[in-house]
Amino acid sequence: MADIALSLTKVDKIYQRRGKPPVHAVKSLDMAVERGEIIALLGSSGCGKTSTLRMIAGFEAVSNGDIVLADRRIDQLPPARRGVAMAFEGYSLYPPLTVRDNIAFALKSARLSAKDVEKRVAEISRLVEIEEILDRYPSSISGGQQQRASLARALVRRADLYLLDEPMGQLEPQLRAVLRGRLKSLLVERRMTSIFVTHDQTEANALADRIAVMEAGVLQQFASQKELRDRPANLFVATFVGEPPMNVFEAAVENGERLRFKVTAGPTFDFASSEIPLPVRQAIGGRERAVVGVRPHAIRLGGGLNEARIVSNQWLGDQSHLAMDVAGKLLVAVSHKPIAAKAGEKIRYDAAAADLHVFDAATEAAVSHGLETA
Amino acid sequence: MAALELRSVSKAFKASKVLDSVSLAAEEGEIVCVFGPSGSGKTVLLRLIAGVEQADEGSIMLEGRDVTDTAPEARGVGMAFQNFALFPHMSAFDNVASALTARRASPEAIRGKVEKIARLLKIGHVLEHAPRELSNGQKQRTALARALVADPKILLLDDPLRNVDAKLRYEMRLELPALLRTSGSTVLYVTQDYKEAMALGDRIAVLLDGGVAQVAKPADIYREPATLGVARLFGDPAINLVPVQPLASPSGPKIGIGGASLSLPASYAHAIGKRCMLGLRPESLAVEAQPSQESFDVDLVAATPLNEKTLLLLRTADGRELLASEPNADEAPRRHGPAFARFDANAVLLFDAANGRRIAPQSA
Amino acid sequence: MESTSFIERILRGAALSLIVIFFLFPIFWILLMSFQTNEEILRIPPSLFFTPTLSNYAALITGKLATVSGTLDIAFMKNLWNSVLLSTASVAIALALGVPAAYAFARFKFRLGEDIAFTLLSFRFAPPLLVLLPLSLYFQALGLTDTYVGLIWVYQLIALPLILWIVRGYFEDISPDIEHAYRVAGHSWGRTFLRIAIPLARPGIAAAGLLAFIFCWNNFVFALILASADKQPVTVGALAFVTASGIQYGQIAAAIVLSVTPTLALALYAQRYLVEGLSLGAVKG
Repeated sequence: MADIALSLTKVDKIYQRRGKPPVHAVKSLDMAVERGEIIALLGSSGCGKTSTLRMIAGFEAVSNGDIVLADRRIDQLPPARRGVAMAFEGYSLYPPLTVRDNIAFALKSARLSAKDVEKRVAEISRLVEIEEILDRYPSSISGGQQQRASLARALVRRADLYLLDEPMGQLEPQLRAVLRGRLKSLLVERRMTSIFVTHDQTEANALADRIAVMEAGVLQQFASQKELRDRPANLFVATFVGEPPMNVFEAAVENGERLRFKVTAGPTFDFASSEIPLPVRQAIGGRERAVVGVRPHAIRLGGGLNEARIVSNQWLGDQSHLAMDVAGKLLVAVSHKPIAAKAGEKIRYDAAAADLHVFDAATEAAVSHGLETA
Repeated sequence: MAALELRSVSKAFKASKVLDSVSLAAEEGEIVCVFGPSGSGKTVLLRLIAGVEQADEGSIMLEGRDVTDTAPEARGVGMAFQNFALFPHMSAFDNVASALTARRASPEAIRGKVEKIARLLKIGHVLEHAPRELSNGQKQRTALARALVADPKILLLDDPLRNVDAKLRYEMRLELPALLRTSGSTVLYVTQDYKEAMALGDRIAVLLDGGVAQVAKPADIYREPATLGVARLFGDPAINLVPVQPLASPSGPKIGIGGASLSLPASYAHAIGKRCMLGLRPESLAVEAQPSQESFDVDLVAATPLNEKTLLLLRTADGRELLASEPNADEAPRRHGPAFARFDANAVLLFDAANGRRIAPQSA
Repeated sequence: MESTSFIERILRGAALSLIVIFFLFPIFWILLMSFQTNEEILRIPPSLFFTPTLSNYAALITGKLATVSGTLDIAFMKNLWNSVLLSTASVAIALALGVPAAYAFARFKFRLGEDIAFTLLSFRFAPPLLVLLPLSLYFQALGLTDTYVGLIWVYQLIALPLILWIVRGYFEDISPDIEHAYRVAGHSWGRTFLRIAIPLARPGIAAAGLLAFIFCWNNFVFALILASADKQPVTVGALAFVTASGIQYGQIAAAIVLSVTPTLALALYAQRYLVEGLSLGAVKG
């Protein structure tokens, strides 16, 4: 059995509101995190990710369910006794203390020797590049510096679990990529079990071993970045994860001699049945309608069955984004090379069977991913 | 005649000079993106043109007319603010219509125009709502509609996509160019996202430290940034910069990175002996398991996968951090530890360390 | 979990009741007193049970105060009217002057701006008595003693700084971009002030107006020294109940009830403007 550090079992969060119906912010959440694993809680605002983090930290009471950390049940303990370190989205640095004292605060209360404190503060501040501002006060440093100080204050402690709420939201973009790399290397090296909340999937992808995608209080899928990209569990995950998001269209299905998806006023994706493994054909079965999806990177340009008008063609230095007007929506294709085509022109495009995702039109659950069943 | 022209415009707040003799011109119907880091004076520039701030020096010309001392209501520009700045006590309809009521149009004409622009921006169904009842995306579209409805000759957009969620921002980035073209306005578009600037601008004006560092077409700025400062702003992750001093050798100019001696193209011969900064775009840096002719030793510290590419954080033998990016392959994940990096010599950028200017390669 | 929250509820209820009793009991007692005769009020021990009488109110309204030593004429209704007139006019003038001034202080940086604003506020620092002696001399010379105009003018010392400083804060809280947007849309400065700034600061203007009204209403010394019985408000007029033959507690209580009523009514009316969260959703933030 894997070494489980944190487990949430059937956790609910219900906010009672005076005179209004209660809000079910987190619904029956089950999640197990292994020791040393880095987990991202990803979702848009109001999806329940921050409530989840705050329940683990102990700032929100759990409405139902258990939380177990390092073999101790913690959901009824006060925050200070749970053994978690947290970096807050609003930084929450203590204004009367210098950055150095902010970072050292928890270490001093843990009665570490002055020399140890000194060493650990120096080490962590080098990592997040705040050595120069250690003796300044929080009010005199920029938002990005405050965020780095807040991150340092959480990481400097020894804890069973690190909770980071939007740890990089305010960072200077030039610094973000490097800091992500260093943070990841630190977390991996020390085997620090950590959960961070983010709405930015680039950050989730870059840092996390596994990503928990949440929406409307429900955990939609909990898997690695590769799994989310290649095998999204449902239409929500498919269109939420990926930059740019997956192109999806509702299509009429023909599953016989040929497997054919026909989108009204849009593309047709047509394959000989022999190209498609039997289990996939069986999974698609006799349904008449389905939702088909293709990742922008998988759209093949310059040939194929379908033709569309180009709405825009944008070269971003290292990649090209092409938008086409298809069935009243935008179909987006991405290429790592410049595309020689202008807005207003027509272009041919297609997608391979291996790149086609099929979802049930009613339940929105995945049916097949390329040549594999869901 | 330029539709919009700034002539040596300066603006200071108290002691700090925000804009220092900025000159910029935009042709009719052109989309110029004003791009720079926060605090570089982009928004101030827009406010000077709108007339809600006064320039200390210089003049502002709109279609050949000097408007430097003209009141904002008489300049005939449209503007969308970063924080939307909707009138909270008016419905979305009245918000949009406010740009027309001042021009004494008839109520039917106003209704017609508001409904037309609302349809275009997909807010027709929420026109009777108060701003607080609108989603962020709808607020942003209402603010855009208000700026566009009176067909202004000059349209000023202050980071209009900043406060909407990523998905909507992405969609708008694809849709906006067509929308702005149909309006026919000359557009000044402020953003601090270089991708947005590259996607939307016919040209980009890079604002740095109160001055215009470069004005050029998007692809040209990325490929040939005028200065070190500009190079650092374009690219995600940012360009790697390594101090080097090219030395002469029989096979052409050489530079040293982490103890290895590597070749530069012969076209950089004129940089020999100069103290330089070598700019390496992460996508032009390849990381390999085996050494090769022009490779140098690195330690692969962390591999962070992004959506369609993976970022590799490398440490050179002398402790310098470099970022490399490579398209995602389905092979096994990268192993941390010793590896070998190699750069595409034709894709390097070289900057003069003394003044930060790019050293252009010279054909022999 | 359940039991602690139950105890918590009881404790909270008890604490709240204590506070309510502490603050509301005097008012409640005054209300009872206003329906009692002087003898009933002064009886020991006091009792909650008595035969209610309207004689106190009748005396106030007819202006005939019956005391042991005969009937006295009092001008309570006139005083009440004076209070209404003085407070309303003072607040109206203070709003007309103070709201534009507050806007100017909030939006424009001008030379000595902060100093002027602070000077206006400093009027509130000086004890009124300090100002009154020289003021009464000036007023005599100017012929303003014992006139409504004179009193309304002096009341500006109370109302104007209050309105200026409260409303200024509200104007400062409105994002300037909202006004900028209206001007760029083609509207003049004046229209922007009337159509955007004033409606958005309305909760602040209502709060400041109400507070200024209450302070004017409750003022005592200015009118005591600068006006005669004819122009005096209720606060000063109440002194008439301290007669040679004793203090008329019943009438005083009734007078208090009557004089509280207008401010209470105004406060209840203004409440809806006070809680109006107008700026919600105006800008992203």
